[in-house]
Amino acid sequence: MRDVAIVSFAQSTPGLTDVEETETQLLFPVINEALDGIGITRKDIGFTCSASCDYLAGAPFAFVQTLEATGAWPPISESHVEMDGAWALYEAWVRLQHGDVDVALAFSSGICSRADISEVLAIELDPYYLAPLWLDPLSLGRLQAEAVGQEPPTEQPKYTDAAAAVILAAGDRARELVGRPAWISGIDHRTDAHYPGVRDLSKSASARIAGEQAGVDKAPVDVAYVSAQYPHEALILMDALGLKHVFGLATNPLMVSGLIQIGTAADAVIKGDASRSVGHATAGPCLQQNLVAVMES
Amino acid sequence: MATFTLEFPYRRSLGPVVGGFFTGLRDGKVLASRTKDGRVLCPPLEYDPETGESVEPELIEVAAEGVVELATYIDAPMQKHPLPEPFSWALVKLDGADTSLLHAARGRVAKGDRVKIRWREERTGNITDIECFEAV
Amino acid sequence: MSEPVQFVSQKVDLDYKVVTSPVARRFAELMRAGRITGHKCPVCGRVYVPPKGFCPLDAVITDESNEVEVRDAGTLTSFTVITPIQYQGQEEKEEYVLANILLDGASGTVGQQRVEGIPHKDVRMGMRVKAVWGGDADEGSRGWGLTGAIKHWEPSGEPDEPREKYQDHVL
Repeated sequence: MRDVAIVSFAQSTPGLTDVEETETQLLFPVINEALDGIGITRKDIGFTCSASCDYLAGAPFAFVQTLEATGAWPPISESHVEMDGAWALYEAWVRLQHGDVDVALAFSSGICSRADISEVLAIELDPYYLAPLWLDPLSLGRLQAEAVGQEPPTEQPKYTDAAAAVILAAGDRARELVGRPAWISGIDHRTDAHYPGVRDLSKSASARIAGEQAGVDKAPVDVAYVSAQYPHEALILMDALGLKHVFGLATNPLMVSGLIQIGTAADAVIKGDASRSVGHATAGPCLQQNLVAVMES
Repeated sequence: MATFTLEFPYRRSLGPVVGGFFTGLRDGKVLASRTKDGRVLCPPLEYDPETGESVEPELIEVAAEGVVELATYIDAPMQKHPLPEPFSWALVKLDGADTSLLHAARGRVAKGDRVKIRWREERTGNITDIECFEAV
Repeated sequence: MSEPVQFVSQKVDLDYKVVTSPVARRFAELMRAGRITGHKCPVCGRVYVPPKGFCPLDAVITDESNEVEVRDAGTLTSFTVITPIQYQGQEEKEEYVLANILLDGASGTVGQQRVEGIPHKDVRMGMRVKAVWGGDADEGSRGWGLTGAIKHWEPSGEPDEPREKYQDHVL
């Protein structure tokens, strides 16, 4: 396996709501900041992967316009995932393993304030058994909190508008770009079955396996950022990952939160505040799908 | 404030497992699928969630009542929820099944309560043919 | 009652707020005043109509200081005669023409522009057209289209533009 590191991370101002600009305009300065931070330009990027969700914008292929923030001329090598940006990062990491490209850009964006997110997420569930019931995130959160014996939450998560970008580099190229690359020593993602009735909601088996495969417990962790939007989710993830303390989300910028948590964990290593950090992303009902990345100096 | 409504009129094909289950609901009975090692899944999934293998081709009938495994009370239902007044989301293991079915239960129910299906009068073959669960 | 259930109908509807970006709002304001504008990139000089607030090729942000006006006339570079399929929600009944138009002063075409005042069989690439204003201008565009301020385009009567002049804008 090639050594791949996160060398730069940038995000829009946390906690934005009701932004008026387009998603592309939101992304532009974020990508600029990620590039400027290590003194490279868009021409230095060998592979680009983006992430978003058309249901947030209310239009098919809405993300295609965000490619305009990448200066895609001459045509670039790029891919897209209809997922949180953490999965765009994962695809970029895989792409760098091929050896022919040394620098990749992964970014994501999401403007939550134009739709009723509780409805958007409800219809993204199993169309036969769950979507007709309009199970919203708060309902699912309350169920899982009951399962783990915690006080059920009383409010929907605070969904916000955001954009974030991460630059990955391999081997010596990473060392050229930044003094302390945040080397990805392990990265893995797993998913539980979709239907809640066949799962043990008090645990997250997929988070546990992803954490084991990423090697979380191979050495002490200085800081961990997980995509928990409620306290009971943080508890379940701490149990799954074997961590005594984690930072969760204050607000939830859908499609970006996982990338932000991994980028923030990487930043701690890059800035010298940590030697070993963990970043986590999630998708699906009740922590169904989980991605864990471990970064080391 | 201008808004627009995105509408998707879907007509979903169901296949033999989900279609069989919905046919059963329309006819007022609950069917389940069986894994190769004999676990009974209700609502029926098409593949064993543990091994990924296809379930047995024949669906079997389970009871229309069972035990609440997990529940949470919703005191302010959303407009699109199954019931207009405060209700509980409940995971119910119907008698004869090894997994739970998630649906609304009238009023407040708790783990261990016995509940039964209240059938919708007009049924078409949909998860909403189950109007809700009610305490026995 | 004994037929197996093979399909289930599900109508999903989601409501979205229409939010107009400041760039699009300014564009719409000028359209209501009868002026078509774009942003000119300070690096490559391309004029984007409607303006995006950036140049996607040079990756530079643009704003009102880069605003330029273009003519409400141009060259039709390609077109389609649409036969409206009567799907749920369709409002069109008769065949109509939609075209890409390269406005004088712009670096790229505006698409989906309605062309009228000429038999459909006579519509042709290279035809010179001018705007017919007086349409229903909405608050702003969603980043594409020219708002509704221009009802449609009609032939201007000028001689056709030779192919070499618009060759790069045929798609």
